[in-house]
Amino acid sequence: MGGWRAALLGSAMALANVFGAQAQTPQATGPTLRVGMAAQDVGRLDPHFAVSTIDRVVVAWMFNGLVRFKPGSIDPAEIEPDLAERWESSADGKTWTFHLRRGVQFHGGFGELTAEDVVFSLRKSGTAATSAFAADYRAFETIEAVDPYTVRIVLRENVPSLLGILTNYAGGYIVSRRAVQERGDTFVRSPIGTGPFALDRVTPNQSAELVAHAGYFRGAPQIGRISYRFIPSDASRDLAFLNRELDLNFGRADQTWINRTRQIPGITVDVFEPTELAILNLNTSIPPFNDIRIRQAVAHAVNRAELVRFRGQDVSREGQSLVPRGYLGFTADVPLLPFDQARTRALLAEAGHPNGITIRVIHTQLPEMLNMMQVVQQQLRRAGITLDLQVVEHATFHQQIRQNLSPLVYYSAARFPTADIYLTQFFHGRSRVLTPTAVTNFSHCDQADSQIDAARVSTNLDEQKRLWAEAQRMLVQNVCGVPLIETLLVFARRDNLDYGYQLRGSMSLGPLITEASRLR
Amino acid sequence: MIHFIARRLLAAVPTLLAVLTLVFIIVRIVPGDPALVILGDQATPEAAAALRTRLGLDRSLWAQYFSFIGDALQGDFGVSMVTGRSIMAEVGAVLPHTIDLTLAAMVFGVAVGVPVGIWAALHRNGVIDVMARLISLIGLSFPVFVSGIFLLLAFALHWRIFPVIGSANLDDYGDRLHKLILPAIALGLVMAAYITRVTRSAMLQALSEDYIRTARAKGVPWRRVVWVHGLRNASIPIVTVVGLYVGILLGNSVLTEIVFNRPGLGKIIVGALNQRDYTMLQGLMVIYCFLIVVVNLVTDLLYGVLDPRVKSA
Repeated sequence: MGGWRAALLGSAMALANVFGAQAQTPQATGPTLRVGMAAQDVGRLDPHFAVSTIDRVVVAWMFNGLVRFKPGSIDPAEIEPDLAERWESSADGKTWTFHLRRGVQFHGGFGELTAEDVVFSLRKSGTAATSAFAADYRAFETIEAVDPYTVRIVLRENVPSLLGILTNYAGGYIVSRRAVQERGDTFVRSPIGTGPFALDRVTPNQSAELVAHAGYFRGAPQIGRISYRFIPSDASRDLAFLNRELDLNFGRADQTWINRTRQIPGITVDVFEPTELAILNLNTSIPPFNDIRIRQAVAHAVNRAELVRFRGQDVSREGQSLVPRGYLGFTADVPLLPFDQARTRALLAEAGHPNGITIRVIHTQLPEMLNMMQVVQQQLRRAGITLDLQVVEHATFHQQIRQNLSPLVYYSAARFPTADIYLTQFFHGRSRVLTPTAVTNFSHCDQADSQIDAARVSTNLDEQKRLWAEAQRMLVQNVCGVPLIETLLVFARRDNLDYGYQLRGSMSLGPLITEASRLR
Repeated sequence: MIHFIARRLLAAVPTLLAVLTLVFIIVRIVPGDPALVILGDQATPEAAAALRTRLGLDRSLWAQYFSFIGDALQGDFGVSMVTGRSIMAEVGAVLPHTIDLTLAAMVFGVAVGVPVGIWAALHRNGVIDVMARLISLIGLSFPVFVSGIFLLLAFALHWRIFPVIGSANLDDYGDRLHKLILPAIALGLVMAAYITRVTRSAMLQALSEDYIRTARAKGVPWRRVVWVHGLRNASIPIVTVVGLYVGILLGNSVLTEIVFNRPGLGKIIVGALNQRDYTMLQGLMVIYCFLIVVVNLVTDLLYGVLDPRVKSA
């Protein structure tokens, strides 16, 4: 018996040793920042494929754009130089010239950044096979290197915020051309950028380890390493944070959690932009929502104030339009229908449903979305609308709602903060699901297409704002969707972590760790 | 013995092939598009189609199937659709953690369950027996995500003996053992409770046999009667349960891995399923199935050691 046990243990240890080889860790000076993230693992670390919150947070520490949002801000008016030190545009706004900083070094000895890297990166971002954000770069006609430090972009048509899509966000990140070409498909797990931190290694299911980029062009980071730990269980992550095993913790958009965490000495809870706006998208092309009275009935049945109380006053606010508050072009001047259950019942009766109506809805089992939908379900039930929720796994939900299988789609999303992106993706006819150019238009509305298109090519900001406001009014009036609530992002940190800026917003959906961030 | 092992391993080949085929079919029946998962919710149909082509998902199912089987037979499971990392490297990085946890939980389960089961059997219907049955019932009713959190609250937060984050440095055996103790106890508790009940009942059966009475009549010391004659004859059902349970531990370790923040096969399987990572799921299921085959083989070999009649049959 003992022999067998020994043999079994021996083989297990041998197996463990064979598989357990670890990469050598480079030495780094400076303290280690330990970050807890609600994740099983990172996905693709090629920034042009970083679509999940988990991936977006970490690539923001490794890459730069030509320009950047001022750290701590998501205000497009505060966009400032990053890899480009200056730029100019032609009078018609279609030709843009960017002058690069000199001496910017890529990680891992991949040399100095040149215009060729920028051209390569932006072409990669605009190609469907090599980027998840290709649609954002449709208007690009040419991208060329004028000289090693000058890049010229010529547009087919105006875009509402060219600088916006060249920021340190989504497809705007600049990669090393040589690294992509040399590493090929392995670039997704060994990315090379110019940011303050470089990827050291990823231990599957455990952590991504980053090391300070000593040659960073803004100066060597004060934090030596970042250990980005994947801890999917909220309870365990909170315990680890309480136990001082983490310095920064992904928080929950939940008032109880925020209140509890704020009571812990030495801990600060940061609540910041961008918000995710949750909308009930009503499919106007099929029954029952092809009848505007039923759509209005749903809109009257929703009690947004109650939804905010449920989610938490500090972390959420009432949706005021079909574009999130704070986005360029947002207007609160829209005819939102007030909460009025009696009016809902009257509208249902008018539409031939005096005894109420039952609607089959596909919804995700993702807890935060499911909880909120269940509250909405109760609100609608009180007014005579029964939602028969078919709860499916999240990937299935995404596939089925794009197959038009649900007449009502609860969707919550944050986008680049201009009205154009939100309106185009959710309410432009070209984005209707089940079409070749589909994105996320579940309502099938197209009434505001001309306003959205006109605003996109306008060079006058006031005119753009007027058109976007008009589009929002038309869409709300037509009840293409019912805005519910906006939810902010939450992270908690130990007081010894100083970001080096005031965190009001972050397009990477997590705190930016810069050369100025430090652990006291 | 070698012929026996070779025969059993050969017999496992059709099982593995059947698993390969089943997994291939099942992951494709489940709704959900890997391209959408990878590209995110802003993906256009054009981008999704381009990615499907790149991942080889636009090929016919037969072409995908034969290419998968061909590569798998050569031990090549390819790369993860989502992370782009080699599946064998990914599994290799977490397998030691899974093996550590499974073996430690098994050792804990057996080390606690067998003596307590014997003790209970020797005090049938007495206070000790009643207590053992009650405690084992509580153990069986306690899911690992509850016992795990209690253990963490007590030993990590209150007494600060163990860390909350249980992912260990594989090169540091001290660290590995330190971070293994709490998860092994949490996972092993249910097994210990189960083994207690099985051991008790098997020992009661064995101790009522004629040869036990004969041994006692011949003046064999009671301790020897229990531990040698009784336990050896009661061990076949215990080994069977342990063998079965190791398979369950391998599969059920996911909750323990999540609560204690440990990497492991279970966590990767759940992640791959959520992300519709077909290649990863296929590779993992084959490796998981292979581990189960090995566990069953070891169990069968133990039968032969414990009861020579099994070997001769």
